[in-house]
Amino acid sequence: MKRILPFIIILAVLAVALSSAWYLTRAIPASPTTPPNQPSPVTKGSQTTPAQSQQQPATATGVPGAEPAHVLGPPNAPVKLEEFGDFECPPCGLFHPILEQMHAEFGDKLQITFREFPLVPTHQHALAAASSAEAAGLQGKFWEMHDLLYEHQNDWKKEFDVRPVFEGYAKQIGLDVERYKRDLGGDLVAQRIFQDGKRGHSLGVKGTPTVFMNGREVPFENLPAEKLRVVIQNELRSSGR
Amino acid sequence: MKKIYAVAALLSLLGIADALYLTIEHLTGQTVRCTITSGCSEVLSSQYAVVAGIPLAAVGAAAYFSVFSLATLAAFGYRIAATLLTPLVMAMFFVSVWLFYLQAFVIRQFCQYCLISAAITTCLLVIVISLRWFRSATR
Repeated sequence: MKRILPFIIILAVLAVALSSAWYLTRAIPASPTTPPNQPSPVTKGSQTTPAQSQQQPATATGVPGAEPAHVLGPPNAPVKLEEFGDFECPPCGLFHPILEQMHAEFGDKLQITFREFPLVPTHQHALAAASSAEAAGLQGKFWEMHDLLYEHQNDWKKEFDVRPVFEGYAKQIGLDVERYKRDLGGDLVAQRIFQDGKRGHSLGVKGTPTVFMNGREVPFENLPAEKLRVVIQNELRSSGR
Repeated sequence: MKKIYAVAALLSLLGIADALYLTIEHLTGQTVRCTITSGCSEVLSSQYAVVAGIPLAAVGAAAYFSVFSLATLAAFGYRIAATLLTPLVMAMFFVSVWLFYLQAFVIRQFCQYCLISAAITTCLLVIVISLRWFRSATR
């Protein structure tokens, strides 16, 4: 018995480790698949206007996010992608150019929705960055601020006080800075972030970036450009476009 | 001596838990939160966190499981296991030193879970070297 006891212990540890891994991997909630009501999107460029948006944006079930949502691409795009992001999160910063690349490659076949999901308190400036983007959104320049925040993430994340930096961005993209500063602390901005966060939690979002494609969560390992491209192509193929 | 191998086995259990946690977070695409240091996301999303498509944390979990198996067998008197344990732990230590270098000088951010793993590997190295020294001294 003593000769086989160590093997029993080793197998028991292996079984516990594998079953814990299996359980914890499955414990991350799977994403729902049915699209809910649609918000009228805030758009970048001339791709969509709220009046045009009669169709569903990239959404899954769960409570609605902030409305109108921040959307790139036409409402009838066959592939709808919804990203929950945090401007201070490094993987989100790395994902930003990938998404821009996909937007350029797939054009009207892809619709991208951005949802605020600041990881507080892990990222000390995440909420300020989300507020800044939302305040810019109230003046129709969400995507401009979104791009600046991600592109300069490494510049501002180590600052003690990010407000002057973000005000500089506001000036750079031509915002009415006084209004921007008022909106930053306003209820509307806070409500939008809260509503997006609520939607994220209802969908089981726990980290960033979390991406849903036509209502199904895209695994994190499929977010590099070469893999995401294949996932989008497969989605287009299955939609017959 | 057997008790010291049991200590090594227990330490490697901590290593398995640490590496398994990081592997699960990696596979489920979660953002790992640091509570002591601040660079978990930076380190774990860097290009060094994956080797040939396999999360480095999964390789670490397999290595710690091997150490656990060998240390358990050694504690029950399997000499060959005790012999294999030393080079395995030494290899893990050198990998830990390399990863520490990457965190300190390349990524310039520290991930607490990686530091915990490095500390466990260092303790394991001290144990196996002490055992070797003890064995050669008593021969």
